[in-house]
Amino acid sequence: MKIAVCVKQVPDSDATLSVNAEQTWIEEAGINFEINEYDRYALEEALKLKDAHGAEVLAVSIGPDRVGQALKTCLATGADRAVHLKDAAFSGGDPWSNATALAAALRPENPDLILCGLQADDDNLAQTPVILAEMLGVPHATGAMKIDRSDAGLRVERELEGDRREVVDLPLPALITVQTGINEPRYASIKGIMAAKKKEIATPAPSDLGVEPSAVGRAGAKITFSGLSHPEKKEGGEILSGSLEEITAELVKRIRENTGVL
Amino acid sequence: MAGRILAVVETEGGRVRESAYELVGLARSMAEAGGGTACAAVLGADPAAAAREVASRGADTVFAVKDPLLTHVTADGAVAALKALVSAQEIGVVLFSHSPMGWDVAPRLAAAHGLPALTEVVGVEGAGKTWTRMMFNGKLQVKMELAGSPLVATVQKGAFPAFEGQTAGAVEEFAPGLSAAQVRQRFVEVVAAPKGKVDLASAEVIVSGGRSLGSAEKFGIIQELADALGGQVGASRPVTDAGWLPHEHQVGSSGVTVKPKLYIAAGISGAIQHIVGMKQSGYIIAINRDKEAPIFEVADVGVVGDLFELVPALTKAVKEAKGKG
Repeated sequence: MKIAVCVKQVPDSDATLSVNAEQTWIEEAGINFEINEYDRYALEEALKLKDAHGAEVLAVSIGPDRVGQALKTCLATGADRAVHLKDAAFSGGDPWSNATALAAALRPENPDLILCGLQADDDNLAQTPVILAEMLGVPHATGAMKIDRSDAGLRVERELEGDRREVVDLPLPALITVQTGINEPRYASIKGIMAAKKKEIATPAPSDLGVEPSAVGRAGAKITFSGLSHPEKKEGGEILSGSLEEITAELVKRIRENTGVL
Repeated sequence: MAGRILAVVETEGGRVRESAYELVGLARSMAEAGGGTACAAVLGADPAAAAREVASRGADTVFAVKDPLLTHVTADGAVAALKALVSAQEIGVVLFSHSPMGWDVAPRLAAAHGLPALTEVVGVEGAGKTWTRMMFNGKLQVKMELAGSPLVATVQKGAFPAFEGQTAGAVEEFAPGLSAAQVRQRFVEVVAAPKGKVDLASAEVIVSGGRSLGSAEKFGIIQELADALGGQVGASRPVTDAGWLPHEHQVGSSGVTVKPKLYIAAGISGAIQHIVGMKQSGYIIAINRDKEAPIFEVADVGVVGDLFELVPALTKAVKEAKGKG
């Protein structure tokens, strides 16, 4: 079985964000990047399937040099190979052009299963994997909280609202997006980090994948983003200031006046 | 834009989910702004009754999309059926809720037409020319434009008001003629998620902690404040995902929706998934070190600062206040 895991590197969740001059994306300088939380769970799910049934795990990502670090982490954690789409033509894409790039990278690999995070913590668009499934012509399921092998292929429990789950069977090959909390992602071991040094990170250009540079990255994007900005604050509550004693005294007073709890 | 705007109605046990009327309301306002028609689609093996209900509450035309293979809605089944409907009825815009069904079906329906979708939108201008959504978990907003048809969008729940009036729309049956080979996912069943013992839904006081706590051990300060107030401990999703607390403590769209008299959020930035689960609380206090955190927008009162300092100090002050009775 061959499993491909698509990972994205995103700003860390505590990063202070500023907007670029075109108001289309954030200013990336000075920000720490980390593997998208959802994708760590997707990788772990691939590694669990590998542990239980044997599999080759391939990690794929799009982005500049910094993304190499994310892929090294995937390799050190247990992925076998990586593909880094780092040619400048791949950068600045939208879900359509990023799915186009991933499809071009994965078609020759012919994976039995593609695992992705449900969404990325930067754009929160939650659609690149599903578009990728359509481009590759494979069935998909989103928001998995449990994945098991079954006679038909895979049995997936999708998270629904209201603490319920929908159980569906999927034939292989297929693409599944996972929810956070589906498993407990492992960390890289020292042995894993050493072993990763010998593992391959391929860096194909668009021409190597048989895709036009104009179909990927910024050139291939279909959604036009503009006006990225900090939202006008809604009329939120008052922000208290003062010494620690003054603040806690004021909070106690308000709890008493407004809730009847004290 | 304008033309025919289609709201894809979700049903549950044959009943229309309330979020459908937010889509219908949006379809109507877009139709009015652009000179189009507000349509809706109800998918099922026998969708007629639900379709009539939607026709009486906002939609000019409701398509009862009827096929035995839609007894349970799967991604493949819904995409094939809606693709046939969009083509036969010249639909220009398709609206879904940003829900487990929406994110399963909408991007694939869009992609089947050679387009991406616009997801989790919270605003629409110019009858569908420009759409607004949030990014970076609510910290930034952005505008989007997309050329092509049909334009497929998922709509954040609660972002648009539900249509409340009475209308006399028409119901048209539509048979998409699905074949079993088109539907690769096989629905098995719907089950309850594994459950625990904590009952946040009926708690009068909830003190919730977020990722900033850093570890399971550090939740002690949250528990102590909850104890002092006679309340329960809640958490944001990263906390339960990390296993610091069991899932039953999770407040939000994928956990419990709560409505206590007092809700204290400590170290929770306020992702929309959390906010929808607690914004109806009677009184909300937010403590966060990031003054830009969206949680402050729903809070009645906020404190910008270090929760490891503030929470224990508040616990002490609460205990003293109770002592004085």
